Amino acid sequence: MASMGDTRPALRFVSPTASRELALIAAIIIVSVIFASASPYFLTVNNLVQTMRAGLELAIISAGMTLVIIMGAIDVSVGGILAVSAIVIGKAYQAGLPVYIVTPAGLMVGTALGAFNGFITAKLKVPPIISTLGSMYIFSAIMFLVIGGAWISGLPGTLSPLINGWVGFVPAAALVIGAVYLLAWVVLRKLSFGSHIYAIGCDEHSARLVGINVDRTKIMTYALLGFLTGLAALLYVARLRNVEINIGTTIALEAIAATILGGTNIRGGVGSLLGTLLGVAFIRIMQNGLVLMGVSSLWETVIIGSLLIVVLTGDALRNRNNARAI
Amino acid sequence: MTTWTKGPAIRDPLQARLILLLGLWLVAIAAMTLLSPYFWRVSTIPYLLQYVPVLGLLGLGQTLVILAGGPGIDLSVGSVVSLVGVAVGGLFTLGIDIWVACGFGVVLGAALGGVNGLLINVLRIPSLMATLATMFVFGGLALATTAGRPIGGFPPEFAWLGQGHTFGLPNAFVFVLLPVAVALHVMLTRTTIGRHIVACGNDDRAAHLSGLNVVRLRIALYALSGVLAALGSIISMSWFLAARPDAGRGMELLAVTIAVLGGTHIFGGTGGVPGTIAALLIVTTLQIGLQLANISAAWQLGLIGVLLIVSVSRLSVWRRAGGVKS
Repeated sequence: MASMGDTRPALRFVSPTASRELALIAAIIIVSVIFASASPYFLTVNNLVQTMRAGLELAIISAGMTLVIIMGAIDVSVGGILAVSAIVIGKAYQAGLPVYIVTPAGLMVGTALGAFNGFITAKLKVPPIISTLGSMYIFSAIMFLVIGGAWISGLPGTLSPLINGWVGFVPAAALVIGAVYLLAWVVLRKLSFGSHIYAIGCDEHSARLVGINVDRTKIMTYALLGFLTGLAALLYVARLRNVEINIGTTIALEAIAATILGGTNIRGGVGSLLGTLLGVAFIRIMQNGLVLMGVSSLWETVIIGSLLIVVLTGDALRNRNNARAI
Repeated sequence: MTTWTKGPAIRDPLQARLILLLGLWLVAIAAMTLLSPYFWRVSTIPYLLQYVPVLGLLGLGQTLVILAGGPGIDLSVGSVVSLVGVAVGGLFTLGIDIWVACGFGVVLGAALGGVNGLLINVLRIPSLMATLATMFVFGGLALATTAGRPIGGFPPEFAWLGQGHTFGLPNAFVFVLLPVAVALHVMLTRTTIGRHIVACGNDDRAAHLSGLNVVRLRIALYALSGVLAALGSIISMSWFLAARPDAGRGMELLAVTIAVLGGTHIFGGTGGVPGTIAALLIVTTLQIGLQLANISAAWQLGLIGVLLIVSVSRLSVWRRAGGVKS
């Protein structure tokens, strides 16, 4: 960091989120040591792989959420997209359709619902929190009408090797997460589309003035989040082999929490996929470790919420003198 | 205020919105009468008013918070309802008189709202994130301290507020919602405090430069939102004679919906009590009517989502016509 008064450009790129990533890694190591000393079961391969499998859907959705939040927007309807996609997948399986038709169908449903959010936000100029709040109502209405209060159960686990399988010494779930984050990273950092996302998050008006097609970028980013949520729905069905009525009720809040914990600025323009992945890992490790220590799972939300407040307060105090942060 | 010159008769967009809402309400009543033979009866009125007070109090608090701008929003009101209920129930089981316990509950509501206000206005955490985090914390605390079990055993005379009637109308409506709504309406339209709130919402910088203490005013409004949520919690407890730790779940979204549907601009500066009350009546009429017609509540969810999106997309077009950057 340059000292006060030194206006020369920095000699090397300083990542605005690197300190957060390091802090999260340190936090993960600290809580892991605490949990490992409290429960001998915590640091077993079996437990860690189970924790990762349980965090698969959250990790995938959070990658898309990071892009949306970097763009200065938000999506609280991903739980609804997850539910509707999972129901379409479940009904398609029940109708006897093969997996090579069900898979693209599930992905397409997710993408379409995401694009719907993007359309309302970009074209109808509804603020993202309101548009996705409204679409969450609509998606849950669709879910209740289709599912009618009963679970869809007894579904085939054709895709479950993607979750439970092993490729050599590497769990397949890790490869899926790696592939999704690689895709998101390429989109965000290697394509001009990703630069457009950052530009809109920094200053939407200026982005429009330099000729970026803001509306199209917004719709495509929301559609990408929808696509990833559809993928998460496929894996959800493969993992649990049923669709519960309370599917996806907390996933939107957890994904937002993971993204913010990971150093992405809620006002847009700054963000890190690595930080989000670490945030997801931190949340799931905390949940797993607390259960192993015998703490009621009801305390989870209190702990996640308190962590969010601490992180946001820290950010606020650090950015006190930064005009852009206010 | 921007001058409205296009329509010769109706100059105020709020007034136009109110007329639109009352028209919508008539449509809803007509539709429900067609759907259910039980709807068009005198006995429906007290039945409808029984459902109104809790949501109405939350919606009014939300209206004030959003109106003061910032942009402000309070997603934690549902969790405040739950937590205040649990606290009052806990105090009552310790042997404290129920009405005294309710007094403590109101103070607790003010304190919880004050925490939101401090996080948002002093630390300058975006309201959406701050109240999302406190929603986790307050709601989680309510669930975790009771292990998810409701607290019952309130004395029968406590039911006076939630179950009793005066002149055939529910006491909670006559003695709580009606006076609160009238008082807030007078405050907003006839006092300097009301003018200050609207001024903060329109342009907080100008308000600050003209000598208003914007931060103090907004903190007070968040605290007021907490107090109104605590009153709603007491009414709900008195109605069911039990304190459920999830009593307020989902209410924050409904509260935002009726405030925004009622014409309060999501970025502040425009809005008022009559619109919120009209939106409250529409939402409750849909709820009651569909219940009486024995139609799935999912339709109500979907309708609210559509109404929310349509009402906001319409409003932003109005604001652009007024030359205000949204």
